[in-house]
Amino acid sequence: MAKVKVATVWLESCAGCHMSFLDIDEAIIDLADAVEFTRAPITDIKEFPQVDVGIVEGSVGNTEEEEVLKELRAHCKILMAWGDCACFGGVCAMRSSFNKEEVLKRGYIETESTYQGKIPCPPGVPALLDQVKPANHVVKVDCYVPGCPPEAAVILYALKELLAGRIPVLPSEMMRFD
Amino acid sequence: MKEITLTVNGNKVKGIEGNTVLEVCEANGIYVPTLCHLKGLTDLGACRMCVVDIEKERRPVPACTYPARDGLVVQTHNERLEKYRRLILELMFTERNHLCAQCVASGDCELQSLAYKYQMDNARYPYSWPALPVDSVNDYLVIDHNRCILCGRCIRTCDEIVGVHTLDFGYRGWKDMVVADLNQPLGASSCISCGACFQVCPTGAIFSKNSAYKGKPQECQKVRSVCPLCGVGCEIEALVKDDRLVRIDSPDITDKRGILCRKGRFVPLYSTSERVKAAMVKNSRGELEPRPLPEAIDIVARKLTELKAQYGDNSIAGIASSQAGNESLRAFKEFISGTIGSELIDTLDGDIYRTISKGTSDYDSQAGLNIETSLEDILEADCIIVVGANPLESHPVAGSYIARAARQNKATIVVIDPSQNTFPYHAALWLQPKEDKEPMAIDILSKAVIDKSAKKDSARTKEIAASLKDVNVKKSSEQTGIATDDLFEAADMLSKAEHSIIIYGEGILRHKDPGLITSLLNLATVASSRDKEKPQIISLKPKGNSRGAWDMGIAHPSRSIPRNLTRNKAKALYLLLSDDYLDASELPKLSKGLEFIIIQSSYLSPATSKADVVLPSPIWPETAQEYVTLDGIIKSTSRLVKRPHGIKSESQILREISKQMKK
Repeated sequence: MAKVKVATVWLESCAGCHMSFLDIDEAIIDLADAVEFTRAPITDIKEFPQVDVGIVEGSVGNTEEEEVLKELRAHCKILMAWGDCACFGGVCAMRSSFNKEEVLKRGYIETESTYQGKIPCPPGVPALLDQVKPANHVVKVDCYVPGCPPEAAVILYALKELLAGRIPVLPSEMMRFD
Repeated sequence: MKEITLTVNGNKVKGIEGNTVLEVCEANGIYVPTLCHLKGLTDLGACRMCVVDIEKERRPVPACTYPARDGLVVQTHNERLEKYRRLILELMFTERNHLCAQCVASGDCELQSLAYKYQMDNARYPYSWPALPVDSVNDYLVIDHNRCILCGRCIRTCDEIVGVHTLDFGYRGWKDMVVADLNQPLGASSCISCGACFQVCPTGAIFSKNSAYKGKPQECQKVRSVCPLCGVGCEIEALVKDDRLVRIDSPDITDKRGILCRKGRFVPLYSTSERVKAAMVKNSRGELEPRPLPEAIDIVARKLTELKAQYGDNSIAGIASSQAGNESLRAFKEFISGTIGSELIDTLDGDIYRTISKGTSDYDSQAGLNIETSLEDILEADCIIVVGANPLESHPVAGSYIARAARQNKATIVVIDPSQNTFPYHAALWLQPKEDKEPMAIDILSKAVIDKSAKKDSARTKEIAASLKDVNVKKSSEQTGIATDDLFEAADMLSKAEHSIIIYGEGILRHKDPGLITSLLNLATVASSRDKEKPQIISLKPKGNSRGAWDMGIAHPSRSIPRNLTRNKAKALYLLLSDDYLDASELPKLSKGLEFIIIQSSYLSPATSKADVVLPSPIWPETAQEYVTLDGIIKSTSRLVKRPHGIKSESQILREISKQMKK
């Protein structure tokens, strides 16, 4: 049987979901028999091939992240969201209540450790969106694994469900938002 | 009570007329998800989680507000209802800023639990990300409006259970918000910091600063105990993790005696007072220095034996704070009266005991402190006279009972106090006699009540009437500074009341005038309804175990010990301070001219610095003791946390000194 092709991206987030994924330990050996990881922060492959499953960690907070997510969606059959950021906006979305100019000023100029700070601006860096969005507010998302981060066992459960040909829906006892 | 029968999910279930559909479901063990509902509070139908289908209703209705009727056909769960419930959750999560990963309540949040239950793994609606304030002005509590779901539990608890009604909804519609008073910061409002809102908040919108992030309730051990900090004796449930207090809750917040106050809920977690960590002995330079406990005990035993031999038993005085528990006090009494054999034994509040005791026996020689009524009676009262007391400050839960009686029974509250405190705010009438004119004010009020009502037929009332026959109400009211109209109005309220009650406190007791107590008992008698003729009166005693210490006979009911102890030819003082503080003004009087002072105390204070030997005491959460409430009920505390290393119980130290002295 051909391996299931998977691509993952991490957008606005801490990489904790990918770390948690690596915490599945030896289960990764069996997984590697069934799954081929293409573009992923872990493989460091930068190009998107056509894949079966796309996985997104992180929320969408700037124009680049928006573009990457749309590209991932275009290249995958099923899109799975990992973690609170991708599912709900998460910690990254704390800035959403504030004006983005204020946020940039606070972050790059007013922080106590900053001396003669300067706000980085496009085209050098992607522009911030007004508000941070969860993945499903940008593209269609097929399944969700919330948690901050989701536990390794929960990530593994979701992947196994996918391999078994089902769209995973976490049972209540696996749900965690922290 | 008429029984009714409903059909819920196809099964016949019984309920009682007047029940809501939710009450019938709960009584029959049928689960209906709820969020804004809290048993004991008036239901509001705010959250809509409990929607059910009812035959012939066009749309789902909230079960918590829908009156149950005979023959009603109810469905609590179907695909459409479950869809709506998840939809409500998604709307709540997108309405404000619910970021579980950084919330204090994560893992202990009813909103989150329901989201898990309904497998809400995403929210389809646009997030509104409102910029809402966080109010952290209060000493203990923070209100984070970002996490508020406007369930109104805090508001209803503040009003219906606590009785102060500081919180309410402000603004309208989309801008609706929980506000304190007229939108003041909580710390600058009429809030009494009882923390009930914190306990009932289903999310992390109201939290306690020193409980946040210390441990989730499910990781904590739950220990039932009693708060001994004032004489009300509230039951508490302490959450303890790794031998540290995480939070203190009421075991049942909606029970009629279920509220706690600032002291019981927060003080044990917020105390910054420096502890006496080890025994300390004054060295040759006159400075206190830490010494091993056995050595300090030895020094005390030797010195006391020496003084006893040289100057006699009565050269050693023993004074205890009534904040100490019964076990400590019993050991203290045994030590001072037994081992030492001294007659100079008293409590710090002994004079107050003697004032109440004398005043009560002058009223009725047979009556003791048991003449006082129980705190619970406040909740039944329809007229409450608060004399020289600020219960919301000194005994906040008792204050809360008063405020609640005013709200729920429409009880009229009359405050008699020369000075301003927070209580007149809750009162219908504030009689403000000039300083030291309280006795006259009370007598003329009694006289006015007698004149007004027909309650004069008993022997006791006649006796009181006779004793007041020379009192001229009009003339005297001028002298007291109280308007005659106000006085008559108060008399009118009292004579109309079915169940009046008098509560007095520090403002009366500080006069140390037994006559005042007799006058108050007289007033209570003439105001009591004809069939009872029993005065309904409560004194707010100064310390948490005053009643216990007095009942034990540590303070003598009539014989007073002058506070200048050298006048009693005392040479040494053993002060059992426990986890209390000594009023700075008491200290010089007590210590003047003494050769040797021993203080057994939990905290360092100006008092301990004057001592020759300081012995370390545990604080109340570290011991299991009996305390007696101000209305005479014995209650036992449990040990909540371990004593710090090297600290022994007060009774153990007292027994060890005793043993040394008997050698």
